[in-house]
Amino acid sequence: MSVPVSDQLIAVLPRLRRFARGLTGSAADADDLVQAACERALTRAHQFQEGTRFDSWMFRIVQTIWIDQLRSRDTRREEVEEQGMHVGTDEPARRIEARLALQEVRTALRELPPEQRTALLLVTVDGLSYKEAAEVAEVPVGTIMSRLARARIALQAKLAAGGGLRRSASDAKAE
Amino acid sequence: MQKPSDERLVAYLDGELAESERAEIALWLERDEALRERAAQLTESAALLRSALDEVLREPVPERLIAAARGETTGTVVDLAAVRATRTARRFGDRRWWIGMAAAASIFGIMVGSGIGYFVANEPTAPDQAAAAGWLDNAAVYHNLYVNAGADDDHLGFDVAAGQKLPQNFRVPNLKPWGLDFQGVRYLIIEGRPATQLFYTTDNKALGPLTVVVAKTSKPDVAPTMERHGDVNLLYWRHHGTAYALVGTANYGYLWNIHNDIAYQLDAI
Repeated sequence: MSVPVSDQLIAVLPRLRRFARGLTGSAADADDLVQAACERALTRAHQFQEGTRFDSWMFRIVQTIWIDQLRSRDTRREEVEEQGMHVGTDEPARRIEARLALQEVRTALRELPPEQRTALLLVTVDGLSYKEAAEVAEVPVGTIMSRLARARIALQAKLAAGGGLRRSASDAKAE
Repeated sequence: MQKPSDERLVAYLDGELAESERAEIALWLERDEALRERAAQLTESAALLRSALDEVLREPVPERLIAAARGETTGTVVDLAAVRATRTARRFGDRRWWIGMAAAASIFGIMVGSGIGYFVANEPTAPDQAAAAGWLDNAAVYHNLYVNAGADDDHLGFDVAAGQKLPQNFRVPNLKPWGLDFQGVRYLIIEGRPATQLFYTTDNKALGPLTVVVAKTSKPDVAPTMERHGDVNLLYWRHHGTAYALVGTANYGYLWNIHNDIAYQLDAI
């Protein structure tokens, strides 16, 4: 017997939130996006093909709604929120450094074109293969490959320019 | 053998190349220090990216998303501006009702909260649980009261506003690092005992306004507990004769971290 769509949705919610947070750059907008995706998935549950990956199907829905939103409204305000990342004045310097590094990464991510951001989030963050990411984005594998390379190079360049790469990854893990 | 392009180098790092191509690029990396450095930086930036977003996985999932996944919501939240405009309109539209609730709460004190707590529970509850639900409902009511009616309302003025002199030994938790600004204090009677409600506001829309309720209690200590009351989240705990509750629309992750901060500041751990 197949697992109910609701149960599969709940299981994949944390990853959808992470994906949406990376796309929108905002906690509130990301959750609104995931909520809209859940609602759409439930109304179109009959379209999900058994035997295919449910998470990929959901990533595609999230991405589609986000693209629709980008087209329909000004999303410049997406940069207003980096909530929950306030730097307390009495924090140890090492943690502040780590937060700054991660903040810089999020800023760099937001500056990437939407299609590069999507590729980066699907492959580098969520670990999908190029083929799976291509299916989510509904583009050829070669396109994902070139978008991803451009995104990785741009991200690395932004972090190198901003000093983010000088802050060690181990510091970042102190988060 | 050509030097690998960025595309091939990234695909190599992602494990997406065939064995023969992998061997070729591995050879290049062995010989070319600049390429090795580039690969190292690409690897490091990818790790940083994952770290930056992995914290989302550790956050509690908001209940509204779980409800949406279960199909318990209606309508689609896409146009945030429209949603916020509606909320603002509703805020003023409901004002009269909340003032009425304020008056009732003032007159009947805990009876209002206890009644709600009792009838919301569909099954019989232990006396302690019912009482807990009662005072927490009351805390939730007072929180909504201020959020919806506004602290400037003549009927809802603070007993002590921010900047005014507070009684000696009264400690107001400093939540500035969270972006929360202390607005004032209101004294309440909860479960027949004096209680204090501290009200904070913020521009951080993901956090939202927060109230902290501190009340005397004769009940035993209880560990921090999360609950949903109506449209607000609560985190409450009891420690050495004092009960504490945080009330707001902030998700449980926020409440938990703020609770840690307050517990530390008020020596309530």
